[in-house]
Amino acid sequence: MVVLNTFIAGSACILFGAIASLTLLSKARNYSYLFSSVGSLLFLAAGGYLLYAPAFAGAAIPVTSNFSFGFSFDALAGFFVVLISIVSLFLSFYSVGLTRGIRHGGYLSFFYHLLLLSMYGVVLSSNIVTFLVCWETMAVASYFLIVFDRNAEAAKAGLFTVVMTHIGTVFIIALFLVLARFTGSMEFSAMRSAAASIPSGARNLIFIFALIGFGTKAGIIPLHTWIPRAYPVAPSNVTPLMSGVMIKTAVYGFLRICLDVLGPGPEWWGILVIAVGAASAVLGILYAVMESDLKVFLAYSSVENVGIILMGIGASMTFRNSAMHPLASFALAAALFHALNHALFKSLLFQGAGSVVHAAGTRNMEQLGGLLKNMPWTGALFLAGTLAITALPPLNGFVSEWLTYQALLLGFKSSSVVVKIVSPLGGAALALTGAIVAAGFVKTFATTFLGMPRSEHAIDARESSPWMIASMSLLAFLCLIFGVFPGIPLMLVSPAVFSITGSSLDLDLHGSMVTPQATASLSTTALALSLVLIALAAILFVRLAGGRRRTVIADSWDCGIPALNSHMQYTAAAFTKPLRIIYKRIYLPNRELKVSYIVKPFFVRSITYGGEITPFFERYVYEPVMRGMHTAATKIKLLQSGSLQLYLGYILITLIALLIFGT
Amino acid sequence: MKHWLETYSIIDFISVGILLTAVTLNAFKSIESYVKAYTINSWLLAGLIAVVGVLVNESHLYMAAVLTVLTKGVLIPIIIWRIIRRMRVAHEVTPYISNTLSLAISGILVAVVYASLQGGIFVTGFSRDALQISIAVILISLFIMITRKKALTMVMGLLFMENGLFLAGFSLTFGMPTIIELGVLFDMLMGVIILGIFAVQIKRVFASADLDKLTVLKG
Repeated sequence: MVVLNTFIAGSACILFGAIASLTLLSKARNYSYLFSSVGSLLFLAAGGYLLYAPAFAGAAIPVTSNFSFGFSFDALAGFFVVLISIVSLFLSFYSVGLTRGIRHGGYLSFFYHLLLLSMYGVVLSSNIVTFLVCWETMAVASYFLIVFDRNAEAAKAGLFTVVMTHIGTVFIIALFLVLARFTGSMEFSAMRSAAASIPSGARNLIFIFALIGFGTKAGIIPLHTWIPRAYPVAPSNVTPLMSGVMIKTAVYGFLRICLDVLGPGPEWWGILVIAVGAASAVLGILYAVMESDLKVFLAYSSVENVGIILMGIGASMTFRNSAMHPLASFALAAALFHALNHALFKSLLFQGAGSVVHAAGTRNMEQLGGLLKNMPWTGALFLAGTLAITALPPLNGFVSEWLTYQALLLGFKSSSVVVKIVSPLGGAALALTGAIVAAGFVKTFATTFLGMPRSEHAIDARESSPWMIASMSLLAFLCLIFGVFPGIPLMLVSPAVFSITGSSLDLDLHGSMVTPQATASLSTTALALSLVLIALAAILFVRLAGGRRRTVIADSWDCGIPALNSHMQYTAAAFTKPLRIIYKRIYLPNRELKVSYIVKPFFVRSITYGGEITPFFERYVYEPVMRGMHTAATKIKLLQSGSLQLYLGYILITLIALLIFGT
Repeated sequence: MKHWLETYSIIDFISVGILLTAVTLNAFKSIESYVKAYTINSWLLAGLIAVVGVLVNESHLYMAAVLTVLTKGVLIPIIIWRIIRRMRVAHEVTPYISNTLSLAISGILVAVVYASLQGGIFVTGFSRDALQISIAVILISLFIMITRKKALTMVMGLLFMENGLFLAGFSLTFGMPTIIELGVLFDMLMGVIILGIFAVQIKRVFASADLDKLTVLKG
C-alpha cells in the first residue's frame, strides 16, 4: 500500500522534526520546522489520493490482545488531511523565519510538531479510543503552546483553555459511551452500520452532546470564551494552526458523528445547528468589531467563520432530513469549501498579524498605524487576506459565502414550513455578518497599516524575514486561485461530500457554477476576467482622455494647525462608535467621561474618556456558574479540617459501614 | 486423625492472643508499652505461621515465620526504641478519650466484626476465627490511630494494622509466595524508617509531636 506508507513516512517526518527540535543546536532549531513541511507534503499527497481512492481501514498499532490504536482512511478524512497539510506546509516556512533565535525555541517547535501530529491522528482515527487519545494530546500540546510566553496572562488563558476543553471532552466521552453502548462497538465503521438500531432518545442525546462537546473546541457561542483568550497569547506561528486547523478538527468530529455515523436526524437538528451558527456568526463578528487588539479581533472572527460553516452544515442536515439529497450535498459542499477557505485566509491573516506583533511588539491597534511604509509586503498580503475574508470577488471567501447563501436561500424549496422560515433567516444573518465583517476589517487594516504611526513601536517596525513573506505570499496566491478557479477546491470537497450524503455534488466545475434546481449561477472566472478588463479599460481611458498629468507631492491639509500628528487621525474605537450605538442592546456599553476644568465651563484642563462593552456571556453565564461552584466548594471544604485523625475517622466509619451493610 | 496442634486448638489460642495484644493498646499509657505489645503481637503472629506450617507441611512457611520474627519481632522494635530515645518526648500517648471508653468502643468493634462476618463467608481458611480476628485487629488499630495525638502512636497503629492485614491474608491463602512476603516485610521496614524520620522532623519543626499542630497545613 503506497498510500499507507506515505502516511507512515509523513508521520515519521513530523516525529523527526519533534526530535530535531530538541536535539539540534539552539541556533539551528528554527530549521526543525522544515521536517514538518516535508511531512505535510507527504500527508498532502496521501490525503489527495484518498479523495479519489476507495476507503480502507488501514493501520493498527496493537496495545492489548483485544484493543489496538486503529486508523482508517476515507474521503472525509482525506479532505481534512488536505486542509491541515496545506496550512501546515506554509506555516512551517513562516515558523522558520519567525522563531529564529528566540528563547526556548526547541520547546516551541516540539509542541508544534506534537500538535500537528495529533491533529492528523484525530481525523484519521478509526475508533473512539484512538480519537480521544489524539484529541487529548492535541489539547495538552495546545496548552503548552498557549503558556509558552510564561506570563500571567498566558497562564490564565492556558488554565481557562484547559478547563473549557475538558468540559467539551467530557461531553465527547459521554456521547462516545452512549454510542458504544447502543451499537456494541468502538469502531466508527461498525457504529455506522449499527446506527439505525439506536433509539431516538439516545440519538438526540448524542447529537446534543456532540454539538456541545465539539462546539466548545470549535468556539460556538456561548462556548467560545476561551478562543479570544488563548489565541492572542499563543506564539504567532501557532495561532494560525489553532485558528485555521484545530477548530476544523472539531468540525470534522461533528461531521463524523452527527452526519456520518448517525445519519439523517429529525428536522430540529438542522434548524438548531443553523440557529447556533447564525448566533455565532453575528455575535462573533459584533464582538470582534469592538476589539482594538489585533489578535483578539481575528480570534472573534474565527468564531464568526465557524458560525458560517455551521450554517452550511445545518442547511445540509435539514435538506437531508427531507430527502433532498442534491441540495444536501450542495449545502455541505459550501460548508466544507468555507472551512478550507477559512483555513487559508485566516492563517494568512494570523501570520500577517504575527509579523506585525513580531515587528512592532504590541497587539494594540491604537498603538500601531502607518505600517504599510515600513512593511509593504506584509501590508499588501494582509490586505489580500482581508479582501478574501470580507468575501470580495474574485477571492475565495466570496465563492464559499456565495454558495452558503444559496444553500440557505434554497431552504425555501424545503417541504417543511419551519425550514422555509428559518433557513432564509439564516441567510439574512449571514448578510448582516458580511457587512459587519467588512466594517471590522476596514477598521483593522486602516488603523494598523494606514495613517501615521501612533507609537514608537510602530515607527521602529521593520519588514519580516523572506521565509515569512514567502509563506504569506503562497497562501494569498492560493486564495486567489481558489477564488478564480473554484473548480479546483470543489474537486477536493466533492468526494468528501459524496462519502457523507451518498449523492454526488451537482455543480458544473468547468463553466459557471449553477446551483441545484438552477436558482442562481456564478462564474468567478468570468468575473475576475471582467474585473481585469474593467481596470484595464479605466487605465486606458485615463491615459487617452486625461491628457498630460502632473504629479504634485504636498502635505495633507491640516486645517491650519501646523504639524500633523498621529492624534488627529481616526482611532479604532472612534471608527466603530456607530456600531456601538446601533447595537447597544447587545454590547451594553459602559461609558465614562471625566472632564476637569481650569475655569468652568470654558477652560478645560483634561478630558478622560473610558469606554468598555459588557462581556455578556462572561458576566451573565460564566460568572454565576463559577460563583456557584465556589460556594459549593467552600461548603464541601468543611470536611477538610486538616486533622489527620479526622480523615482516618472517615476511613474507619466507611469501613464499618461497609462491613455492616456490605456483607 | 487430627494433629495434636489442631486437637488442642492452638491456632485459635494464638489468634486470640493476637487480638488481645491489640485490645490492650487501649489501656496503655506510655509509648514503650505499645512497642512491647507490638513485639509480643509479632512473635505470636510468627508462631501462628509456624504452627500452620507444621499442619500443612509447607516448608516456605517456616521461612516466613523466621523472617517475621527477625523483622517485626526484633528489627522494627529496635528501630522504634531508637526513635523514641532520639525524640526525647514525653512518653505519654495522650489520648483524646478516656481509656475506659476506648476499651468499650474496641469491644463494640470486635462485636460488630463478629456479628457481620458470622457464618463464615470464607470457609477455606485454617481457622473459623482468624479472619474475624484479623479484621478486628485492623479496625482496633485504626481506632487507636484516630484517638491518639502523638505521631509515634500513628506509626504503632499502622504497624498493628499491617499485622492484622498479614493475618487476614494468611488466613485466607495459607501464606503468600515467599517473594511477596519478603517484599511486604521489606516495605514495612522501609516504612518504619521513613515514618520515624518524619516523626522526628515533625517534632523538630513544630516543637511538638502532637499531630494537632498539622491542621495549620491545610489549604
